[in-house]
Amino acid sequence: MTTADTLPARRPGPRAWLALIAAEARMVARDTAGLVIPLGLPLLILVMNGLGTADTAVVDGVNVFERYVLPLVLVIVIATVGVVNMPSFLAYYRKAHLLRRLAVTPAHPGMILTAQLAVSAAQSAVGVALGVGAAMTLFGVGLPARPWTALGVFALAALAMYAIGMLVAALAPTGNAAAAIGLVLFFALGATGGMFGSTDSLPRPLAAVGEALPFGAAVQAVGRAWSGLPQEPGHLIALAVAVLVSSALAVRCFRWE
Amino acid sequence: MAAIEVQGLHKRYKATVAVEDVSLTVEDGEIYGVLGRNGAGKSTTVEAVAGLRRPDRGRIRVFGLDPRRDRRRLRQVLGVQLQDAALHSALTVTELVRLYRSFYRDGADPDELIDRVGLAERRRTRFERLSGGEQQRLNIALALAGRPRAVILDELTTGLDPEARRQMWATVEELRDGGVTVVLVSHHMEEVERLCDRVALIERGRVAAVDTPDGLVARAGLEQVVRFRTAAPFDPAVLDRVPEVRSVGTEDGLVTATGGGNLLHAVSTALVRADVTALDTRFERATLEDAFLALTGSPFDRSGR
Repeated sequence: MTTADTLPARRPGPRAWLALIAAEARMVARDTAGLVIPLGLPLLILVMNGLGTADTAVVDGVNVFERYVLPLVLVIVIATVGVVNMPSFLAYYRKAHLLRRLAVTPAHPGMILTAQLAVSAAQSAVGVALGVGAAMTLFGVGLPARPWTALGVFALAALAMYAIGMLVAALAPTGNAAAAIGLVLFFALGATGGMFGSTDSLPRPLAAVGEALPFGAAVQAVGRAWSGLPQEPGHLIALAVAVLVSSALAVRCFRWE
Repeated sequence: MAAIEVQGLHKRYKATVAVEDVSLTVEDGEIYGVLGRNGAGKSTTVEAVAGLRRPDRGRIRVFGLDPRRDRRRLRQVLGVQLQDAALHSALTVTELVRLYRSFYRDGADPDELIDRVGLAERRRTRFERLSGGEQQRLNIALALAGRPRAVILDELTTGLDPEARRQMWATVEELRDGGVTVVLVSHHMEEVERLCDRVALIERGRVAAVDTPDGLVARAGLEQVVRFRTAAPFDPAVLDRVPEVRSVGTEDGLVTATGGGNLLHAVSTALVRADVTALDTRFERATLEDAFLALTGSPFDRSGR
């Protein structure tokens, strides 16, 4: 019999990455309830708001739909995917020892995190395409006035939501706990960020806090880019801080088992 | 060279010593049982062999590889089935086998592997809809995906019904016949007795004994018993000169002979020579469970997982 120390020390190749991404995609696609919220809820909010705001569409030369409603809808997509869905999968994988199972194969459990991130990004892209498509066909919304700014700001907002999601996944002991924590966070961020009506109706300090939190900051920043208004640095700083703080904490707290 | 060598393994978790001092050698191609109570240190030992735990002391080699330093090479030669580890629940049998196969450069053919563990009919069934026995068979298939030289099977049949358990045993025997070294962690006595070439008894973080299942029973020095009735009145002197017999008693026509060695054969031969016709002959010998009690000095706990 021979020793095994002459074997090449191989890492899993691109085929393994593709297979894992396909596995995560199937997990997400077959979780029907998990698809309704990020794809269905934003569309519903879009249509209801679209019907309600049709006759007050332009205020002070700004299209209310482009400035508030569509940005809100797009941010709901990335927040539900990033803050609620993704962490519940990852926390379940840890709780059910799936990460540990993967650790005894040549695949590193970190690969599953990356695959889940990629699938979440794809899911967000589908939600965004649905939202923007519906807004254009049903309510005559045009492309963003500053398309590159809008894209960049939106990517930053998505990163912030995923970073918060990773933190939730790091802290939550089970998949259910992750979904619960994620939902509470989503509603708290959403409520202070304009999800249930304009932040003008909130007490002023609360509205200010909401705009400094990633949800409110994202709605504002995306809305300004879409309407062609200049960016306010505060919103971008708020998003960048959310990315840095959440991911640093997530890396610190994350446990494989 | 042995397939797996563990020398002086010691592992503690904070205040608890999980493994005090374990040394064992698994030969290439055998089914090696690791038997012990819950908390005796079985799982910690095999997890250290699988490279999941860092030993506080001791030396481990798997086909000459250090499980922590040579992790990547180890994964290619050692397949592991972990105790209650879940899989992607919404994926089907075929999807899971293909997924795990993709982690290895060389490995088994997914369809053959599924046939081999008897899941051909369930290819398109999701993991969450498989029965407990089917899930375990899938787990074995995944442990074999990289065509390993050795596999660790941790509590393979716990929670399975007797029929599913017997099917698993057949699968494990086929593995050995195919030249794969198997480390079987179990606290199911019948399973260990039936499958294992050699068994290590782990007790309170130490190896209490290593032997074949029969060897452990013999080593425990427990007596065998032959009971029979005779048509005519029986003269115990017939068995007096049989060296295997230690004592003979008769009560209400039932003769009880106790002793060791090949007791049943010795008694039968002596009876035939003396022209005694024995009726209702019964033979009792100690089981591995009795031996476990005798060798570890305390009863075996069946209550746990």
